[in-house]
Amino acid sequence: MKRFVVFLLVSVLVVGLMSGVTLAQGKKPKIAWCPAIDDPFYYMIGKGIADKCKELGLELFVAEYPKAWGPEVQVPILEAVAARGDIDVIITGPTSKEALIAPLKRIHDSGIEIITVDTYIGDGDYSKPSEYSFPLTFIGTDNFQGGVEVAHHLAEMIGKKGKVFIETTNPDVSSVVERVEGFKKGMSEYPDIEIVGVEYNLDVQEKAQQQVAAALQANPDIVGIFGTNLYSAQGAYQAVVNAGLTGAVKIASWDATEDLIKALKEGKVDLVLAQKPYEIGTLAVEAAYQYFVEGKEVPKRMVPGFFFFTRDNVNDPESQKYIYRAD
Amino acid sequence: MPPLFIRLRIMAYSHFGYGQRFAVQLGRNWVVLFLVILVVLFSFTGRGFFSPKTLNNILLTSSPALLLAAGETFVIITGGIDLSVGFVRGLISVISAIIMRDLYARGYSPSFCIPLGIVVGLALGLLPGLINGILVARFRVPPFIATLGMYGVANGFALRFSKGFPITFLPPEVGQIGNGFFAYFLPGRGLSFFARHADIVEGEMRNLIGIVPYAIVVVAVLLLIFAFILSRTQFGQHVYAIGGNIDAARRAGIPVERDLIRVYMISSFFAALSGVMYTLIFSIGTHTQFSASLELFAIAAVVIGGASLMGGKGSIGGTTLGVLVLALLEIGFLMSGILPFYRYIAVGTILIFAVVIDQTFPEIIYE
Repeated sequence: MKRFVVFLLVSVLVVGLMSGVTLAQGKKPKIAWCPAIDDPFYYMIGKGIADKCKELGLELFVAEYPKAWGPEVQVPILEAVAARGDIDVIITGPTSKEALIAPLKRIHDSGIEIITVDTYIGDGDYSKPSEYSFPLTFIGTDNFQGGVEVAHHLAEMIGKKGKVFIETTNPDVSSVVERVEGFKKGMSEYPDIEIVGVEYNLDVQEKAQQQVAAALQANPDIVGIFGTNLYSAQGAYQAVVNAGLTGAVKIASWDATEDLIKALKEGKVDLVLAQKPYEIGTLAVEAAYQYFVEGKEVPKRMVPGFFFFTRDNVNDPESQKYIYRAD
Repeated sequence: MPPLFIRLRIMAYSHFGYGQRFAVQLGRNWVVLFLVILVVLFSFTGRGFFSPKTLNNILLTSSPALLLAAGETFVIITGGIDLSVGFVRGLISVISAIIMRDLYARGYSPSFCIPLGIVVGLALGLLPGLINGILVARFRVPPFIATLGMYGVANGFALRFSKGFPITFLPPEVGQIGNGFFAYFLPGRGLSFFARHADIVEGEMRNLIGIVPYAIVVVAVLLLIFAFILSRTQFGQHVYAIGGNIDAARRAGIPVERDLIRVYMISSFFAALSGVMYTLIFSIGTHTQFSASLELFAIAAVVIGGASLMGGKGSIGGTTLGVLVLALLEIGFLMSGILPFYRYIAVGTILIFAVVIDQTFPEIIYE
């Protein structure tokens, strides 16, 4: 009798497990969203994820938005989410290219698929087999490509000729370095445009102002400036105003945060590149859906395009969704 | 009565021959000489360098750095160091901006919320210095450690309040105060006080020269006051005496604890003022990024200006020259079209050079 009970239990367990396994194919995955930091950009990704999950009828668990950027904050959150046991896919932005490889690999080996958004692990190329190629896909912006497109838009604004200057933050931070390189590449297609310099302000705005003021004096005929972030762009603006060149020098900048959009409306900058965090979120959920429900292969890398704000479109109703908002 | 070390120098100096005197004078004033050489050099290499606009650019954009360095001068003369100034500046910039933004958003008039933001910011700015001073003077915590602790605390609070983002949406008048000039000069049209020429056309804007920004006047007045305090008051003498030999100062009956606390409060007051000015100039409150290394540039300027980390030496005038040298290098290299990386090398080299010179010449004096 006792043996029979054990046999019954074991067989129920085995059948249960097997049916569970077969059900996994084509079943709707439960998604966990583990943001890298509490900021408007990640909030927008989260919004895209939530809306898409609702549309596709997927269950979503949202982990806490960490108050600080870094593996020591992020890894415990990821491990706690994985330990819940009911998650099929984790969507996250790794806060370190190197330090997140091992923790994410452990989670992946326990049967959870990983999708990285905004940032990646290793060199971000998951198409070649490597120790970090296990995530389903990377969905994020290409800083280099963004720089190229900023160059094209700025070139249009200045009539494809004249001198331009680049004001950036650090010579050793990959995101802004790629933006600068992309910008140079983009501008190289215009023979009548000359890049007269690149300066680094280390995120100190008065440095940006000082450097741009000096550049404007050495080259009073500068017609365009690319400030790779808010501090760089606003410092550049202040120098342009003090030089009495408001309107004569076009300033381009990066990321549609509310303060840069405000600066655009006030005429302090003339062009703002917006990444598309909302699209990053919806693409991530679609990738999970395709993989689990439709059983399709997912591209290893997806790059949503950019949106460009100018004073002509900044008040359009359809532009508003590209502003990063944390509400 | 001049401070003790100056009297010592005068006594030794009177025994020198002309050659030695000239060498000593040159050694003492090498920064001035260097400054002149840089101006001449950059006037040849930098396009458009020799112009009142360059002077304006240097004065306007280096005044926040000048404030940090002025406060740091007091601390370094006592033989201490204040590593927290950069982040205290960020903290106060954030606090004053938040006050202005939130009150303005609730409908208060700018003439109420801007002064309130400035005053509260400056008052709170005394607090880190008070704590630093008590730690150093009463609890004998080495200044390096006490202010390194405050560096983290101030930055943590700044990030906590700002969540790592710039504080914007301040009253529009903020930028007008921070960027105003007392007078504007337009060639051929003459001067205009407090506002630009009313009927200026766009083509003329390029030639418009702003004369004497408000920000510089505030900084200049403060520097004069504190230069006076340092060189002409009893407290100033105590600062040098503490740095010269703290035990001797104690035995001589100098209230070392009280004076040290004051010195660290002066330092964080200047840092706070720098933060408030940042907010006023850029109409934005922001925490200090780690990569900014503002405290290190302040210390470098003080040392180039003739102070010694051993204490007992330094002056506001020297520090001002130190800040000008750094700003001049930055602008001159840029306008000469030299890659920014060479500037880092130049600044580092000059810093070491300054200390070497300083080690060489005082020995002649004290012999």
